[in-house]
Amino acid sequence: MNTCQDLQKDRAAFLAGELGLERREHMASHLKGCARCREAVDEMRKVIDAAALVRGEMEKAIASVDWEALPAKVTDYVFGKTARPRRLTLGEHLRPVMMPVYAGIVLGVILGSLATFLVLKRHAPSAVSDNVFFASPEFIDRVELELARRQTLDYLKKSQYLHQDLAQASSLDKERGMDELASGRAKDLLAKKKYLNPQLGNSRMAKAKVICDQIELLFLELSQISDDLTGVEMKRIQSMIEDRRLLLKISLVEKELEESEV
Amino acid sequence: MERGRSIEREDIHALVREIQNGNREAFMTIVGAYQQRVFVMAYSMLRNKEDALDVVQETFLRLFQKAKQFKEGCNFQGWLLQIAKNLSVDYYRKNYRKRREFESPKSLDELRVAAEPNPASSSAGEMRDVFLRGIDKLASRQRTVFVLRHVDELQFNEISETLNISVGTVKSLHFKAVQNLRKWLSPYMGITS
Repeated sequence: MNTCQDLQKDRAAFLAGELGLERREHMASHLKGCARCREAVDEMRKVIDAAALVRGEMEKAIASVDWEALPAKVTDYVFGKTARPRRLTLGEHLRPVMMPVYAGIVLGVILGSLATFLVLKRHAPSAVSDNVFFASPEFIDRVELELARRQTLDYLKKSQYLHQDLAQASSLDKERGMDELASGRAKDLLAKKKYLNPQLGNSRMAKAKVICDQIELLFLELSQISDDLTGVEMKRIQSMIEDRRLLLKISLVEKELEESEV
Repeated sequence: MERGRSIEREDIHALVREIQNGNREAFMTIVGAYQQRVFVMAYSMLRNKEDALDVVQETFLRLFQKAKQFKEGCNFQGWLLQIAKNLSVDYYRKNYRKRREFESPKSLDELRVAAEPNPASSSAGEMRDVFLRGIDKLASRQRTVFVLRHVDELQFNEISETLNISVGTVKSLHFKAVQNLRKWLSPYMGITS
């Protein structure tokens, strides 16, 4: 049994005549005594013999081909497929007959370059000096508004301090020259207000403008009478500040401006 | 079966060098010497003369294009037949598989049920058809080895060189091919197992 299994894989090679002498003799002697293996080998032989049907067909096909003519045909096919166009020599390139071709190519290149230059030039941005800063009008408006907001805030803060000083001033302060100091500060703020006026023209600064105008009036009065500010006049100014609720209004506008940062 | 003129190994290498330089005569000599072997390889796969001749042309075209890749000392015939085999397999995949399925939609098992299990009743033509169906049903490598051995009648060592596989692998593939064919074709051949 073991011999049958051992020899099983050699059966096909045995039939194909591909076994070595020793194994072939071993197989032959085994087949004489083993009917089962003999039957299996016979069946395999039938399969292999059936290949003769195809072999016969192929022999007919081989016989029908003209083998003498085929090499030339195949060679023509291969060389025809792989043939490269012959390269022209420099002399052939410069033949007079080629001149119109080159002239056409050169003309085409020139016209193409010109057309490209014109098209690109039309779409290119105009020349710009290195020192010029370009920004959109919207951006400039926003910057101006932000500057106005900051300067107005500064003006309002300084005014607020002055108002607070005036509101809390007493007769003792007059002796200390407080009135002269307040007058100087009022004049400074009046000058600043003149500078601020164009910026307060913006519609978004309308509220601040109203307050600033009221403050300006107060400072005008203060600057005119400051040289010899009497107790009565001081009281009048203090009451003006109080009546118009300037400190409160300033605080509100300040708050609004702080929140409306651009 | 002797196919074509045989050329000495040294001469082959000299001819291949000439082909690399575009020598037409050398190329024709090589074609004359190997055309039949290439044809047999293609025909055994495709079983159609015109298609096999197409593969012969394409194989030599490929040889011409790849001649510079051939290394001296290698087996020229094995290299050439490897090209032919690959082209035949491609050709078969592209043109045959679907066509044969269409021509004969019944499987071998279906045919077996319908067939009279008496070998005497099967004519040679029917037997041939059944055998070819069995060959088609084999796995690609088993089919190639079987056909090369029993149709082209190459020895195992020649098949080994042609397919670039070991002799042991050739033996094993051949055994499996014969076993499978024996199993599938048993109803038509009076085989009992």
